[in-house]
Amino acid sequence: MSVTAEGPPGGGAPGTSGAGDGTRVPRADTSFERATIGLGTSLLAVLVALGLGAIILAGSGDNPLTAYGAILAGSFGDSFAIGETLARAAPLAIVGIGAAVALRAGVITIGAQGQLIAGSIGTLVAGFVLRDAPPAAAIPLAALAGAVFGMVWVLVPALLRARLNVNEILSTLLFNEFAFLLLGYLLNGPLKEPAAITPKSDPLADSVILGDLVASTRLHAGVLAVVVMVALFGLWTRSTMGYRYDLFGENPRLAHSLGIPGRRIILNSLLISGALAGLAGWLQAAGLLGRLYVDIAEEIGFFGLVVAMLGGARPLGILAAALLVGALQAGGLHMQATEGIPASLSDVIQALILLGFAVRYAPQIAAIFRRAVRSVGETLGPVVRHRGARTAGGTGGPRGGPAGAGGDPDGHGES
Amino acid sequence: MSGDTNPAVAFEARGVSRRFGATVALDDVDFDLRAGEIHALVGENGAGKTTLAKIVAGALRPDSGTLRLFGEPYNPRRRSEGSAAGVAHVRQQLSLVRGLTVAQNIELGRPRRQVAGAPEETAAPGDGEDASLPAAGRGAGRRPWPRTFNAKAARAEVERLAAELDLSVPPDELVDGLPLAVRQQAEILISLAWGARLLILDEPSSALGPLETEALIELCLRLRSEGTPIIYISHRLPELAELADRLTVLRQGRVVTAGEEVAGSDLRRIAELMVGDLSLLEVRRPDLELGDVRLEADGLHLAAEHGPGLRDVSLRVRAGEIVGVVGVAGNGQEELASVLTGQATPDGGTVRIDGTDVTGSPGTAIATGMALLPEDRTAGLAAGFTLADNLIARRVSDAEFARFGVRLRASVRRHARALAQRFDVRPPEPALRAASLSGGNQQKLMAAREMERDPAVLVAAGPTKGLDPHAGRAIRDRCFEAAARGGAVVIISADLDEVADLSHRVVVLSGGRVTDRFGVEEMTSARLGAVMAGLHWDRSGEREPEEATGGGGDGSSADSGAPQDDGEGATGRHPGEAATRGGKEGTS
Repeated sequence: MSVTAEGPPGGGAPGTSGAGDGTRVPRADTSFERATIGLGTSLLAVLVALGLGAIILAGSGDNPLTAYGAILAGSFGDSFAIGETLARAAPLAIVGIGAAVALRAGVITIGAQGQLIAGSIGTLVAGFVLRDAPPAAAIPLAALAGAVFGMVWVLVPALLRARLNVNEILSTLLFNEFAFLLLGYLLNGPLKEPAAITPKSDPLADSVILGDLVASTRLHAGVLAVVVMVALFGLWTRSTMGYRYDLFGENPRLAHSLGIPGRRIILNSLLISGALAGLAGWLQAAGLLGRLYVDIAEEIGFFGLVVAMLGGARPLGILAAALLVGALQAGGLHMQATEGIPASLSDVIQALILLGFAVRYAPQIAAIFRRAVRSVGETLGPVVRHRGARTAGGTGGPRGGPAGAGGDPDGHGES
Repeated sequence: MSGDTNPAVAFEARGVSRRFGATVALDDVDFDLRAGEIHALVGENGAGKTTLAKIVAGALRPDSGTLRLFGEPYNPRRRSEGSAAGVAHVRQQLSLVRGLTVAQNIELGRPRRQVAGAPEETAAPGDGEDASLPAAGRGAGRRPWPRTFNAKAARAEVERLAAELDLSVPPDELVDGLPLAVRQQAEILISLAWGARLLILDEPSSALGPLETEALIELCLRLRSEGTPIIYISHRLPELAELADRLTVLRQGRVVTAGEEVAGSDLRRIAELMVGDLSLLEVRRPDLELGDVRLEADGLHLAAEHGPGLRDVSLRVRAGEIVGVVGVAGNGQEELASVLTGQATPDGGTVRIDGTDVTGSPGTAIATGMALLPEDRTAGLAAGFTLADNLIARRVSDAEFARFGVRLRASVRRHARALAQRFDVRPPEPALRAASLSGGNQQKLMAAREMERDPAVLVAAGPTKGLDPHAGRAIRDRCFEAAARGGAVVIISADLDEVADLSHRVVVLSGGRVTDRFGVEEMTSARLGAVMAGLHWDRSGEREPEEATGGGGDGSSADSGAPQDDGEGATGRHPGEAATRGGKEGTS
């Protein structure tokens, strides 16, 4: 989107009000200039990160070059490595899309971890119920069960946020703990595979298991769901509904004055993010692992948020960010296994590279984050100033309009 | 003592130019500020006033030209260097940190380093400091490192300065809760505490009511009498006549008139120099042709935690009629605007548009043709959205712009370009983000979105606030157009001039009640001042019945004769008067 920034100077009229007060005039930059600057800073940021990582590696007695070579080999070196990268990227992308829908609406959810666990439990349950069903029916139903369980897991925090303005960051974080503890209980009790030493469930019913896409890799058919989800998210960003959600995130007061129901958007965006996290749980359970483990969620829920932010909450950005994180994780594991570099050091290197990208995309990330953080500040405010927020309506507490007003904004028409 | 080199000149700029891309914001500008004077810098938005102010403050560096501050070469590289040298820039958007008290704000950001030309270094050898630079003596100066926050000392400093300046700035209250005028005073006070020897006030009165503006003028005069020179940026000429010693007019980055004495100069001519075309200032309010009642608000009650809320406010506005609701800020105007547009649900009463009940339902209000220009532009625009996306906010789902729930982006863009051109939004570039537009163009953008189709009811809060004559006229004309095409228009404003220019009929809001109603031709500043100050409070109980139920029905048709006359009066009014009249008759 190259923009001719300079307004027509006056057009005969003496005022150049189009040019603002001089300082507001946007810099004239062509998309070419921006692309080269972008590429330069990108490379620089990653090079700095790699350099720092090299120092750390060298300091601990490892050869940085072989270490980095191992990351590359483990992520893109052969078909198994590529499969590994894709299989890791898949749930990240799906969680990231869910987080992005919420972020765009000004809601930060960090409950994907718990919702993912809930989704995997849902998949297990669906597998048990549908153990004799044909896969063509069982697989989509299992996916649906995963999504529904994820949605159920976020329902309470979502209602608390939409109705009582309870901060969603805190509540979803707590629900992660509940999910983790519930899974631990299930895997040590009712669902425990009798013969197993470490807690894990029985294998899922065959009818819901996703087949391998490429032989002798861990790349399962479930990654196709990512393609579908990215396409759907692309549609979302161009839909009228997505527009309303974005508008609410961008300016809640304006949204309220246009009659856009804020509470419903908060509720729905959390439910959507929960459903997608649950779907990622289905991928993990029915695709990658075939059964439930205590650490089935790994850190996908949190990295999914990283992916959403790094990807600028946009479809292709998320896809790219998920591939990056997936490759780093696959490569990091490979480095650990082949070069004997400690797991913690491998994590540090991954984190440094991610940080490098985060620096590169800082403005975009900041823009998304500002939106969400602003809404957090506004969430906490009106709880105290409930009455004031109500009367302020258009000009006062922004979130106070939709959320703080007495009664459901959707129902105002009936009064 | 540096002041001895040229004690008469506090600041001078020679041949200063500054470009932004292809735009020349300042072109070879000379400017000088004498010690102890108030020098007004006037011009339209985009004339370069703020650019010059930023250069003086150190926030911008000129491309060419030289600056001298109190006789010394002055080359600040950033704002902090400017403030360390004693230049304080009080902007429209105040820089106080919310969530902190005034006393905490005074500590935060106190200049640490002093650059050449600052009082501590240059004044050290001399002993005439107090005579030439009295303002520098106010501040406590810098403290040795580590600088810790001494709450007591900070509070004492605020109190001492407030007493000296005769201001009531509470040191321990959170900045957030203070009225704008007090926040502004606090910011001026803080800049003095930081050792300001030169003040730049950028459009300081644009958001103030008449009484607050008077207080501001008094403060400026007091500071001047104590020797602090002030660069006062404004385009309100009557106000400048009251306080400025000299004025410099900028137009399109060039100096049109440099340092002219204000006393004895013709404000009309100044207005002409500023705008280039006096017809812009002409107000052509459409003649009143009353139609049916379109907006009907009955017995509105609203309890508010802050402010008076609304108490039994009734308002009827007919097609073609423009009603000005005037009052000191904080007397229920914001509440009225949000209730009329359905955004806030009143505790009692109803709002109807063309007979449809829209009480508490912004969606219904929009569907029935309500248009709103909120006073706070940040509430009315999605700053991060493009022009195109802003312009379809009311119509996203229209068949023209979406099919099967998916937006048709080409059509949205086309629509944006046409609409932006129609409302003279510059630049009319659909892909540009709204945040990058100037204030006047943001207002036009908002007007374009809200008034794309003739509104049934237009509620405009301070619609021309802070706009230069060009943009102001564009918005004003839109309001007139809305009325002329059969809309009912409500102007809510604390600015008497704005209400006088725009309205057929005036309603005074005080303490959340309607305390007076009259045709605009009866509007005198004396009457308004008294009513707005709440002196006629007791009157509210004994109003004539027809007035008590609002100016609708017989009440407003009784008005209809008078505003007709006023319509003629308005068009026959002398062109320059619009800029120079109001509140301060006798200045021209």
